Parts: sequence; C-alpha cells; structure tokens
Amino acid sequence: MSLYRQTLALTSRLLLKQALKTRITGETRNIKRWVAPTLNELYTRRLKVGPEPPQPRSTFLEWNYEAEVFAFGKRLGEDFDKNILKQALTHRSFVIAEEEKAKQKGVQLEELASNRSLIKEGDKIVSDFLKEEFKEHPDDVAEALHDYLTSVDMLAHVASHMGLRDIILTSEFPVENSTLADTFKAVVAALKQSQDVARAQIFVKDFLISQLNGKEIFDIWNPEKPLEYLTNLLKQRGINEFEPRLCNQSAANTILANYQVGLYNNKKLLGIGWGESIQIAKETAALDAIQRLHYQK
Amino acid sequence: MSNSHIFLKSGFIRTPSQNGVGRYVCQLQRVVLKFCKNNGSSRGMREFVESELINFAKNNPGVVVYLKPRRHRAPVISAEFLNGDKQWVSCHNYSKQDISKWLNLLRTQSGNTTGFRLRKLQHTDHPSIQGPWTPYTFKDPAENLAEYPNTELSKPKIQLKTATDELLEIFNSVQISDKKGVE
Repeated sequence: MSLYRQTLALTSRLLLKQALKTRITGETRNIKRWVAPTLNELYTRRLKVGPEPPQPRSTFLEWNYEAEVFAFGKRLGEDFDKNILKQALTHRSFVIAEEEKAKQKGVQLEELASNRSLIKEGDKIVSDFLKEEFKEHPDDVAEALHDYLTSVDMLAHVASHMGLRDIILTSEFPVENSTLADTFKAVVAALKQSQDVARAQIFVKDFLISQLNGKEIFDIWNPEKPLEYLTNLLKQRGINEFEPRLCNQSAANTILANYQVGLYNNKKLLGIGWGESIQIAKETAALDAIQRLHYQK
Repeated sequence: MSNSHIFLKSGFIRTPSQNGVGRYVCQLQRVVLKFCKNNGSSRGMREFVESELINFAKNNPGVVVYLKPRRHRAPVISAEFLNGDKQWVSCHNYSKQDISKWLNLLRTQSGNTTGFRLRKLQHTDHPSIQGPWTPYTFKDPAENLAEYPNTELSKPKIQLKTATDELLEIFNSVQISDKKGVE
C-alpha cells in the first residue's frame, strides 16, 4: 500500500514537471489537454488511499541509536552505564522478535538481555521511596498518593516527556502506555545499578514526585462519605460528637441558593464549608475539617 | 489592521510535565540540519556546520544532531521536541549567524509554537489563594445580631444627594446671606 502511495505521488510530480518543462523550453505553446485530468485522477486516488500511516522514528534514515541513548542520559543530567541503560530499554517482546528473525534467516544471534529483572527492581525502588516520602501523611492519603503516582498513565506521561517513546526497543508500535511505564521503572533500576540508590531516589523525586506540584490533596484523594469519615476520625481522637450549624444562607429557593455550614464541637470550629444545599455544605465542611485535623492548619 | 490572528489556535503559556520543578530538561530532543553541498542557498548552513556545529553539540549533549546533505534542495532545520512536536524552519539564504540564532530559539522552546497565539504573557493555575468570593466573605459580624425589619440596614448603602436636596441647600444658603445683608 505504501508503495502504491509513493508511486502515485511520484507520477504526479513527474507529470507536472514534464508538462511545465516542455512548455518552458518552447516545444509546444500549451499544456496538453490530458495533463489536468490525469493529475486530477492521481490526486483523487491519493485521497482515496488516505494519509501515510505513522512510522517508528527508528526507521528513518537519520537515526543513530548510540547517539540517542547517549543524549538520553545527558538530557536528564545523569551518568548511566551505557550497557545497563540499553538493557533497560530492551523489552522482552523485542528480544523474541529478534530471535525469530534470526531463526528465519538462519543466523546465530548474540544474546540480548531484556529488562524484565530491571522492571521488578525499579518497581520496588519507586514504591519504597514513595512510601518513605509520604510517611508523614495519614495512611489512606499516603496510599492514594502512591497509587496516583505509580499509575500506568502517570508513569507513561513522565516517561514520554523524558524522550523514552522513540528509543524503547519493543515489537509494538505505537508504544503502549504500560510499556512506557515499565521502561521508566527499568530506567530507575538502571540508574541505581550505574550509581547508587540515593541517586535513583533523587531521580524519582525530581521527575515523579514533582508531578504533584500545584495539586491539592482532595484532587487525588477523596473520601466517599466525608461525614462518616470525619466521625470515625474524631472518635479516634476522643471526640464523640460534633454539631453542624447553619452559619449563613442566601437566595434560598432560587437556583443561586447558597448555604454556609460550620461543624462545631464544644463551641470550637472544626471546619466550615459552602454548598448549594445544606447536605452539600455539610459535606464540604466535613472535608475542610478532615484537612484541618490531618494537617493541623 | 489584519485580523488573521483571531483564527490562530490560542491558549496560555504552559510548562510541559512540570519541567523545572525537579530539574530542568532541555525540551529539544533532536535536530536535523538538511542542506546541499553545492547550492548557494545552503552557504550559511555549510559555514555553520564547519565552524559552529561542534560547539553547539558540545554545549548541548542532550540534543541529538543529524546532518543530512541532499542535492539541490533548500537548507532546512527540522526540530523534534520531547512533547512530540516537530518544527520545520526553512533556512534559504540564511547566514551562519541566522542559523545559530534559530537553533538557539529552538533549543529554548518547549514545543512547536508556530501558529499559536498566547492570550496573555503570564498565567497561573491558582488565581486566588484566599479562595472564591462568597456572599459571606466580607460580611459585617454585627449583622448576625440585627433584628429585621431594620430601617438602618434597609437603606441603600450609597445614597447621593438628590437635585431637590441640592436646590434646597442653595436656597437656604442664599437666604442666610440675604439676612446678613439686611442687618
């Protein structure tokens, strides 16, 4: 199909060139009457075939894998061991595809190491470090943050913005998010092996944890029933009762209805919130109270 | 004045993937310099390759530089960014200095910004630290204890003098001065 596409493009370009050339050199005074319809036909056929499907960057003429891998490390400001980094970028699917190719051609292939073990190791490094970093948060919040940062989409986002998408060796194209996420973990492990764990942890901090910048805790973690959660939380701290009070209201019975509810315990404000109904206002007040209790605002 | 800019894609200034929060990563990942070895339009590009390219590559080890000589075609810089954008700059008859300036621009860009209009030159995701305004934000606490109907609170907050009031005032002042004159 791609050959057909190229032939169409080439023929139309040559035809046009030929037609114009004969005119310029003065052999004839006009462009032949078959030229326009032929070009039209070629054009419609090209439209029918559709656009060129995307090709992996590594199939382009200007591609040097060694240079790309070298630049990857330098771009991130890290000193990787070249061989370990290359192993971290090689997926099992690529190794299998290469072996099959070699078998078909009957050539002996030198052993290619895949990044399987590195992925496992990197997963553990990232996970342990995140748990260590979020130690001061309450358990369920720390878990939510950990899950948010280690989700496939987040890791794939970070990995693709490092420039991993083009240099991963895998048989699939376009590269899937799960593969990108795995490669990020493998790269972390490769950094640990090239240098040390501390360096790998700084790497995770700079690239992964920095994604939390500008986010609020409730963007990532949201208790389903804030009032019940707050009741349990208060019981743990020895407060058995709290009292919601309507502090303000305006425009009741209109679409712009607005209520302000404060949660009090023993005349002390625990949290305050707004909403278009009293129930919603209570819940936002509970969220506010949870935040104040957790982080001692 | 031309209005063509209103049909451009528009948006706000952004940083890809929190770049610079942890550490800064140059967003230009590779650049291909295409030129002809004979054609005059590529002269500046050839000079750049001869004298300045090595320094550029040394100073920016994170950018992969490819050279692609091709016969009788115009010189071109094709840049690829980490966010997947590609930018194509025609360098027909550019001098060595022009090319190094363009490369510097591409090196410091975060993506392909051609055909993109910035609505403002600054942007924040958090326009207010204090939070959104509510009807109760600047409410006077004294209103909590007020009893309604309340004549004092029912008055308009800003009450300007009416024309009648002003006329009366003028009238009164004139009368006083008249009286003074009589005495």
